Amino acid sequence: MKELNFTVNGSLHSVSCHPAKTLLDVLREDLDMTASKECCGKGECGSCSVLLNGEVVCSCLVLVGQLENEEITTCEGIGLTANMDVIQESFVEEGATQCGYCTPGIIVASKAFLKNIDQVPTIDEIKTALGGNLCRCTGYTKIINAIQMAAKKELQEKGAMPAV
Amino acid sequence: MLISEMDIITPQTVNDCLLILSKKETEHRIIAGGTDAVVRMKEGKWLPSTWINIKGLKELRYIKEINGTIHIGPLITHTDIIHSSLLQKKANILVEAAREVGAIQMQNMGTIGGNIGTASPAGDTIPALYVLNAAVELQSLHNKRLIPINLLFTGPGRTVIKPNEMITNIIIQPQTENEIGIFQKLGPRKAQSISIVNVAIMLSMAKDRECLGGKIAFGSVAPTIIRAKKCEALLPLNPLTDDIIENIAKIAWKEVMPITDGRATAEYRRDMASALLERGLYRLMRRWERK
Repeated sequence: MKELNFTVNGSLHSVSCHPAKTLLDVLREDLDMTASKECCGKGECGSCSVLLNGEVVCSCLVLVGQLENEEITTCEGIGLTANMDVIQESFVEEGATQCGYCTPGIIVASKAFLKNIDQVPTIDEIKTALGGNLCRCTGYTKIINAIQMAAKKELQEKGAMPAV
Repeated sequence: MLISEMDIITPQTVNDCLLILSKKETEHRIIAGGTDAVVRMKEGKWLPSTWINIKGLKELRYIKEINGTIHIGPLITHTDIIHSSLLQKKANILVEAAREVGAIQMQNMGTIGGNIGTASPAGDTIPALYVLNAAVELQSLHNKRLIPINLLFTGPGRTVIKPNEMITNIIIQPQTENEIGIFQKLGPRKAQSISIVNVAIMLSMAKDRECLGGKIAFGSVAPTIIRAKKCEALLPLNPLTDDIIENIAKIAWKEVMPITDGRATAEYRRDMASALLERGLYRLMRRWERK
């Protein structure tokens, strides 16, 4: 057992566990943050996606002992029901979720992707950005629509695009 | 060794890391991005008593041009490669290969040193490094040696890297004005997939479709990456018309020694090696003519 310190969603956490435990297990078991899901466990499905220092990574492949003083953002940190992010609102409006298992990972990957845009991304750009996130229910059409909707809203907020 | 009993140590400098590697009391293994290491740990294949976490070693994360060569630190991630303007300009084939590695999540975590150290016959950046004449610098506490990339790998997952050594630099020859390169990959799906076959092609061109010579490296069709010497020998003989390209590609099956595994049969891999080479050469010629 080791005492490990790192930041999750803006607050510093100190966790006592074995250092080769994955970040995903620590989030879910030690910190009770269950938005990030385990599915394939080997970096193919993206349902465990979190932001590590702002970049999207698979939390099932990060060992918590590698995270001393690093900064993690999970889907909970992007927004909860009371204070949803633009992306989450768009997913609700568009109905871009069915069973919901992959959704937190997709929200996180979308958050990282939309951070750097200056125009509404094309379908192909979204497909590339979300290539690491699998959804077995929706067929992706609504997810892509929701991300485009979120991009429009964000650009309008920034004043980079006229409001319709 | 149980996963719950493993330790992780994080050296602050390369020298600290080499010092740890030089001691033999415990069984160590280096971890950087973890995209392969953690999967293997979960599979029970890699169970060291101590992981040496080098992910944060800033001194190994650089891309710089020195005396006409490009030096790449082993902790450069695939995302770093994709965004490097120097590599986009002078080693575009490596950028193309890095784009094909997994999806964004893997590109953000996985490092080029890890891709080399893992020595997967399907590693996407390795064929590109072959045609860029890469040499890999291996350092131990008291020694430093430079190994040409074609002498580094001895089999699937096996290299000449000794337990007390680590990769500290990757040196490539930049592409010249008249050199054009392309990386082609066939996987079960577009993103996040392991190569069924991949190929890196680098040609040195004269005017029109006249080719002065070239290098072709196939991945995932032999125990290690292989250079297609027979195909290469045919490149400078005639201008690379579509007919000649087809003929060169037909020879490719003689060069490869694929196996049947979960991803594809040997026969399919042989056919696809030819198809990818033909497609790659054809696309390269189109690019060259537009240049």
